[in-house]
Amino acid sequence: MKTQCGKTKQVRQALALVILGSWALSLTGLAKAGETVKFKESESSFYSDLFDQSIYNEGVNQLDLGRWGRKLFGKKLPSKDVNIFDEVPDSGFFKNRQGRERLSAEALEKGYQETPGPDLSKPLRITAAEQRGIYPRFWAKDARGDEYLLEFDPQGNMELATGAEIVASRFYYALGYTVPQFTILLIKPDQFQVAPEATTWEETGFKKALSQKRFEEYLMVLPQNEKGLYQASACKIMKGNYHGIFSFESRRKDDPADLVNHRDRREIRTLGIFASWLNHYDLRESDTLDMSVEENGQTVLKHYLADFNGALGSMQEGPKAPMLGYENAIDYGETLKSILALGFREKPWQKKWRLAGKKIHGSPTVGYFTNDLFDPARYKTEFPYEAFRLVTRADGFWAAKLLMSFSDEDIRAMVKAGQYSDTKDSDAIARTLIERRDKIARFWFSRANPLDGFSFSGGTLSFKDLAVECGFASKEGTVYHAEVIHDGRKGKIAQFTSEEPRLRIQPEWIPAKGEAKILLRVERASSKKSGPAVTVLLSADGIRGIHHED
Amino acid sequence: MILRLSRQAFVFSILLWCLAPKGHAGEKNQDPYAPVYTEPLSAEPLKDPVSRLIEFPFQLIKWPMDQGIIYTENHRLDKKAIWLYEQSVKQGVKPLLGFSDISAIPAYGAELNLLALSKQKEKFPDLFATATILHCPTIFFAVGSEIGAQKIGGTGFHAKGVFGYDRQEKEPFYGIGPDTSMGDSTSYRMETTKVGLEAGYEISPSIDINGGFDYRNVNIFNRAHDGKGDILHVFEGQNIPGVNGNNLLDYSITLQRDTRDSKDDATRGSYQKFLFQFTDNVSGATARYFKYQLDMAKYLQLWSPRRIFVARLFAEHNDEIDHGAIPFYDMAKLGGAGTNTRGSETMRGYVYNRFYGESSLLLNLEYRYTVMEYKDFKLKTAFFSDTGQTFNEIHEFQFKDFRESYGVGFYLSYAKNTLVNFSVAHSNEGTQFYVKNKLAF
Repeated sequence: MKTQCGKTKQVRQALALVILGSWALSLTGLAKAGETVKFKESESSFYSDLFDQSIYNEGVNQLDLGRWGRKLFGKKLPSKDVNIFDEVPDSGFFKNRQGRERLSAEALEKGYQETPGPDLSKPLRITAAEQRGIYPRFWAKDARGDEYLLEFDPQGNMELATGAEIVASRFYYALGYTVPQFTILLIKPDQFQVAPEATTWEETGFKKALSQKRFEEYLMVLPQNEKGLYQASACKIMKGNYHGIFSFESRRKDDPADLVNHRDRREIRTLGIFASWLNHYDLRESDTLDMSVEENGQTVLKHYLADFNGALGSMQEGPKAPMLGYENAIDYGETLKSILALGFREKPWQKKWRLAGKKIHGSPTVGYFTNDLFDPARYKTEFPYEAFRLVTRADGFWAAKLLMSFSDEDIRAMVKAGQYSDTKDSDAIARTLIERRDKIARFWFSRANPLDGFSFSGGTLSFKDLAVECGFASKEGTVYHAEVIHDGRKGKIAQFTSEEPRLRIQPEWIPAKGEAKILLRVERASSKKSGPAVTVLLSADGIRGIHHED
Repeated sequence: MILRLSRQAFVFSILLWCLAPKGHAGEKNQDPYAPVYTEPLSAEPLKDPVSRLIEFPFQLIKWPMDQGIIYTENHRLDKKAIWLYEQSVKQGVKPLLGFSDISAIPAYGAELNLLALSKQKEKFPDLFATATILHCPTIFFAVGSEIGAQKIGGTGFHAKGVFGYDRQEKEPFYGIGPDTSMGDSTSYRMETTKVGLEAGYEISPSIDINGGFDYRNVNIFNRAHDGKGDILHVFEGQNIPGVNGNNLLDYSITLQRDTRDSKDDATRGSYQKFLFQFTDNVSGATARYFKYQLDMAKYLQLWSPRRIFVARLFAEHNDEIDHGAIPFYDMAKLGGAGTNTRGSETMRGYVYNRFYGESSLLLNLEYRYTVMEYKDFKLKTAFFSDTGQTFNEIHEFQFKDFRESYGVGFYLSYAKNTLVNFSVAHSNEGTQFYVKNKLAF
């Protein structure tokens, strides 16, 4: 009988594997190399993004009856790409890295790397340039034939923008997002060579041939360190075909793997939370990239986040302006409040700036990056993406859990990638990020149900109270309320409490067929009110699902 | 297709689940990140059908807007336009764009820097020679020229010669005095040609004294439009001085002090301007009068540079001498936004040139406060009240003749340069809307 059962199981698994193989391609949306997959180019630009998000969407969203209905009745729109364990499976948008398994300090510091950076065994050939304001950026080809985009720091703020770009890229990569390779490049002026065919987009808006003289003029406005070296963030140009940007709102209909609207993707919604951690105010759709590449004989679309020099205390032109992170570029709500308050309302950023004596106290390398008056609930990116507003408690909890998976040492390791010449600067940045991580996680763990790490063994359901484990809530006075419900049956089977993060589950509570639902709520001594629930589905086989209340 | 794939995804998920090891303690082996979903992945419409229908007309606008913006940015058309403007100014041609008080049609033109055009500016840095042309279709046409020195011999002395011709196509006129009626609305066409000299001394960077002499030829023409009668018919039997035009000589002296931190978007400081002018006729006409004008404003910060209270006082008196007369077009005028270079003073709840009189008294009170700041962009809201009257002789001044208007404005600026000034003002004669690219004061 036992053998028969074993055979049946083997046959079942083999059959499943066969079917699995034949369905896998269509499931993942991969196309065979020979198959023609036409990805349209989805164009965007800074100003079109500004128009779409701050003017068009802000207007037509007010005409969305469903949105008003959700507001009026307090209904949430749950994320749709979460699995039965309330996690985000790997996709073209996101790959569980630190969340799945803690990365080593070396891996965190290294981030995504295909090469160690531009190969300087031969002069770096400048193939193109662009002047933005007074500062240039260059496209260069190295001795290996790899292409890089080089961006520099503003005068007086050495390491500010380049450091922010490198460090933020490490964080996004470790979180699970796809980013290009970013490395710090220190280079002497004579290691550049202008290619004869090089062109430049001048600030005048005209494209011209890039002469050696013009290139030298560009170099003159760039800061050099005490050794006479220029510092750049070198972004390796990805191989593959460019298909524009990806929307934070809707899916790509031309991509068979893109099945869920992006605003319903948890990893897209929570980008706003991660941006608040990294002070990445200019996280924009127009700074994303969709590239199709051949991988294992398949054409796949990779969704990149790029351009991080507006993170931490930096913005492109220098230290971050005081209002960035507190207001959208066009912020109707804040503006209306100020109009109604007749100018006597001091906005949080104004208060912060006033308390700082209207000057930046930190080093020019750190820029304007402190946690004074930082409110995780009120952080705003440059444009008001609806996806960031749709974050539910479950989404926030997932993001906070991911944030807390980074230890202080992990954060320091990623900051180290910025290669700051003064350790005081890297310490200041790491300290702010650590404090901010805690502030964000504390906020979400208090709003959402902070229970996680469920396991069922020997009739005991064990779990972790992340708020307690992280030191945001006291174990003393914490009570876990549990309710047991059967699928398809009304009423509770059992209701009990525990002061320990484990519950004894009676075998009779679990049906032979089907599942028992265990609803868990947390009550703290400080609030005496139990918060949102987490539902654990238990069958005779074990845990069949976890769902945090939205 | 998508639905089929969604089903496939769901089946695949179930298969994965089948393959997953099971057991009481098997959770340890389960992959919590496996793509196993409670229901097939699918993309529902972002909005319900009714909302989509409501949005549809706007979508028709969105696409061309987006494409236009992207094209502009990809081809750097914005940068090219700025470069062309800067190059044009550098070469000596400064494009001008503005709005008149009586039309939504923008005025356009250019200021020619003749020294720059002739490549002589570097050789004579203290000299200037400009020619200006400005046109607002159906409203006005103006040309002018100024030639002079900003500094003479490195001292504070300055001097210039001026020439100007302008044709106002429809200057509104409602009669003279505080009790005129909007019903007597008419307008006239006025041509002015002016030649003059000015000289002055800059006592300090904020104080300047200036004297001037000019000859003016003014021609007035009837102009019936919009179903309204012409000026001579509407005011038949009334003595409208200057209605037949004049040849005039003006002698003026101006003392001004200006300590504002910005002329366009001041947040502190003040200005005071005193003008005394004697006007005489040269062709035996009756015009002969003194003009006294006081214009002063104080910009007070209310405990923050984001809150500014502005008080402006404007007073003008024209006093005829030797039985002379004051031409109606040279009288004190009130009404409109007050942003025209020649025209009536700021009384925003009333139309441009609404009140004429030998004298005027005007008090503008305005509270401006910043409601939005983003990098170098600022949006200010302003609540204002304009109280004023025109009257003839000083003894005719009566408090009951004051007219009031009040309103609200929104001023968008970039790096202290006003980009848009949108104002709405109300008075007992209705509501006026203004879209300008500068502030009245």
